[in-house]
Amino acid sequence: MSLSNLIKNWSSLRVRRPYEGQYKGKDYKWAMVIDLDACTGCNACTTACYAENNLPVVGKESFAKGQAMHWIRIERYWGPGDHMTEEFPQRGAQFLPMLCQQCEAAPCEVVCPVGATHHTPDGLNSQVYNRCIGSRYCSANCPYKVRYFNWWQYPERAWPNPLELQLNPDVTVRSKGVMEKCTFCVQRLTEAKNRARTENRLVADGEVTTACAQACPTSAITFGNLANEKSTVAKMWQAHQIKLASDVQEKDDTVRGYRIFEDLRTYPSIVYLEQVRDLEA
Amino acid sequence: MIHTTDERDIEVERRFVPKAKDINDEIAWAQINKDVLRSMERPRMMYWVIFLASLALFSFGVYCEVRQYQSGLGMADLENPQVWGLYIATFIFWIGMSHSGTLLSAILHIMHADWRKPIYRFAEAMTTFSLMTAGLFVLVHLGRVWQFYYVVAYPNERWTWPNFNSPLVWDATAIGTYLTSSIVFLYFGMIPDLAICRDNAKGFRRKFYWLLSLGWQGTDRQWANFRVTYLTVACFLIPLAVSVHSIVATDFAVSQQPGWHITSFPPYFVAGALYSGCAAIITLFIILRYVFRFEEYMTMPILDKTCRLTFAIAMVWTYLNLIEYASVWYGSDPYAKETLIFRATGTYAPYWWAMNFLGSVVPFALAFKSLRNHIPTMMVVSLLLNLGMWLERFMIVTPTFAHGYYPWTWTGNWWPSWIQWGIVAGSFGWFTMLFMLFCKIFPAVSMYEVKEMVYHRFMARKARAS
Amino acid sequence: MSKAHTLALYSDFEEAGRAIQELKSANLQGFKMDDVILKSPIEHPELSEMLGSRPVYVQFFTLAGAVLGSSIGFTLIASAQANFLVQIRGGRPIVPLPPDLVITYELFILIGVFMTVLGCFIGWKLPGNRSPIYNTSISEDKVGILVKAEAQTIPQINEIFNRHQPLEIIGEQGR
Repeated sequence: MSLSNLIKNWSSLRVRRPYEGQYKGKDYKWAMVIDLDACTGCNACTTACYAENNLPVVGKESFAKGQAMHWIRIERYWGPGDHMTEEFPQRGAQFLPMLCQQCEAAPCEVVCPVGATHHTPDGLNSQVYNRCIGSRYCSANCPYKVRYFNWWQYPERAWPNPLELQLNPDVTVRSKGVMEKCTFCVQRLTEAKNRARTENRLVADGEVTTACAQACPTSAITFGNLANEKSTVAKMWQAHQIKLASDVQEKDDTVRGYRIFEDLRTYPSIVYLEQVRDLEA
Repeated sequence: MIHTTDERDIEVERRFVPKAKDINDEIAWAQINKDVLRSMERPRMMYWVIFLASLALFSFGVYCEVRQYQSGLGMADLENPQVWGLYIATFIFWIGMSHSGTLLSAILHIMHADWRKPIYRFAEAMTTFSLMTAGLFVLVHLGRVWQFYYVVAYPNERWTWPNFNSPLVWDATAIGTYLTSSIVFLYFGMIPDLAICRDNAKGFRRKFYWLLSLGWQGTDRQWANFRVTYLTVACFLIPLAVSVHSIVATDFAVSQQPGWHITSFPPYFVAGALYSGCAAIITLFIILRYVFRFEEYMTMPILDKTCRLTFAIAMVWTYLNLIEYASVWYGSDPYAKETLIFRATGTYAPYWWAMNFLGSVVPFALAFKSLRNHIPTMMVVSLLLNLGMWLERFMIVTPTFAHGYYPWTWTGNWWPSWIQWGIVAGSFGWFTMLFMLFCKIFPAVSMYEVKEMVYHRFMARKARAS
Repeated sequence: MSKAHTLALYSDFEEAGRAIQELKSANLQGFKMDDVILKSPIEHPELSEMLGSRPVYVQFFTLAGAVLGSSIGFTLIASAQANFLVQIRGGRPIVPLPPDLVITYELFILIGVFMTVLGCFIGWKLPGNRSPIYNTSISEDKVGILVKAEAQTIPQINEIFNRHQPLEIIGEQGR
């Protein structure tokens, strides 16, 4: 049975992804756009993520050791930006919300020894907690370092009674020794997809969004279905001339969109909007 | 035409091919049996000192591991991005150490280098036990060690398999193969000696060796099959050893991290492996020679040859090391260059310079005959070389995490917790304990091969004289 | 006719060689060269050559193991990948050749080693083929020649042995 499957489907088993038009005609490909010029660095997205995804608050000491579990983090970079002055260096602050880039060719997926992380048909980079043995190779190979490991048994200490009552029942609480990361709020996506399927339709644009996008006061984060050409996200990707399956984007100088570390050929699903400035040129 | 006589041949050989006499070839065969069997009975006091010290060290390591197991890997002060720490560095160190046993026993066996014969048994044991130690580190390092068997490709009703793309699965396969094959090789090569033990033992020990010696009586059929099998397994083991450490190198070279994604990593790792293994052989040589009174067998000329071999490999490693730096320096990858500069000037710079000094300069001590023949110096030098090689592995793992692609994650002050140090120290205890037990239970010097060595020298002398 | 055994121990290997030569040329009744077994502490190719050709078949096991290991290895891995439900990882093909070849190589060696050792055990006729007479001094420094022959031929064989200064001749009932 297995051998005949191998021989019969040989050519389809030898396909490299992503390729041009991979999601054409498919139902879903979740993607995101983050407008850095709109981001004020308020950390509302991080807070929302903690609430939605049962992220443990690790405490001061662990945080100082670098064991924080923020699936989305606001990175601060101090100048030298356009507005930086000697007098008010804070003005040069720039922010970058960093979360799992849901790469189409994710470096983390290749190296996981047990296949705990893999690619779903709707374009997510998923993490199976039950399968994870905690080798942390995925984190080692992630260029963005957005994978977070459960260094401690957080359920025992992060939510002392009665705090456990605020946990989201749709999301599991992770035990020690497994890797976790941003899921694009997969519990919301699954629910929306199921609801749409019972009504015999596809998920409409804007029907579902991630916690971070929902909480963002400046609407810097846009989430949606890239496979649907009429969705806001797809239009923004198009407007900024980013192609999902290409590692070198041919685009006009006026557009702001870029993806981080495109030259590593990870093909991220998140586009950042920001004029990339090279001050020395 | 010049007519030469046998006497003149001998004369010419003596003058121009000065061969150090590896072993006293007058030694009686019965004496060989007696000496080696005695080592399994009453070693010097030092044996128990070493054994108990390593047992204590191992117990401390177990204590650390128990604490880590109960509370989680946070005990090790690992963090994002320093996710691997000393465990993987020491894992590579132990895997590397295992390679010289194969070099010494398999490669030199095929090349008929006689001087390997008195020392290859313990080198092979070193291979086996350091592989076991390395395997422990994989387990210690896992977040959920109780699920480690997910890495093994076992059939199950859900059709769930490990991810064969992952270098860790290659590792598991390669190390599993290597451990199995080297145990087979070690045990198989020991069968004639186990028969000797059986013939000289009493009580339950006799039963034990009787079982293990598989009815060995030294018949011509047994010898003929034995020889072919031993040679074949040796031939299998050489490419296997090379593949194992190249695969360990692919753990790093296959990943995208700057400072790891380097083509020359596999040969660099193999050279480093042989290097630290040879240095470890010198250390253990000196210890065994003293502890088990093996002065007759582990002779100074053999130590001299081992040291020269180590020196040659040290130079190979130095070359590959420099090549790695040079290709990064002159390459066009700015990230990799940045990592190299960070290694040489950043927080971990003292260790980087120490590693280069210990790995490339200290081995020049092996170039001097007077130093090679001075046992305390060699003990110190071999330990220093291994320290250098351990630092090399530390330098591969830690600074890359500290200075990867993403500037926001750059950290400069990460340092492992005492739990990590405890487990690393415990691994040395575990290795030494197993090794010492092995040498007590099994003959650490190959009796039958030393006899062959003596016999061949005796026959050669007789043939020349007649 | 009942068969019996005798074992002669020699401390001089050349004398043992001469004894074998004489056995060979003696042309005794009820005795074949195939029934002569040499027992020695180290391998003596020069003595065992005299016993006639006794082929070793280990290499064929090795070959079979190498072929089996590599072919079965690759097929198992590739078909496992093809049937795994969550297949797509990092954009790589589902059946990627370079990683599969790495594992195939390891299995080739593993099965090769196993089959080689198995071949050797078969060559030794394990389990349980003990030749009847043995002396512990063989594992030390003596060479033994064990002969199986018709009971009435044994005295003649012992006579040949005795001509070459044996250390000892051991029969089935002891010395």
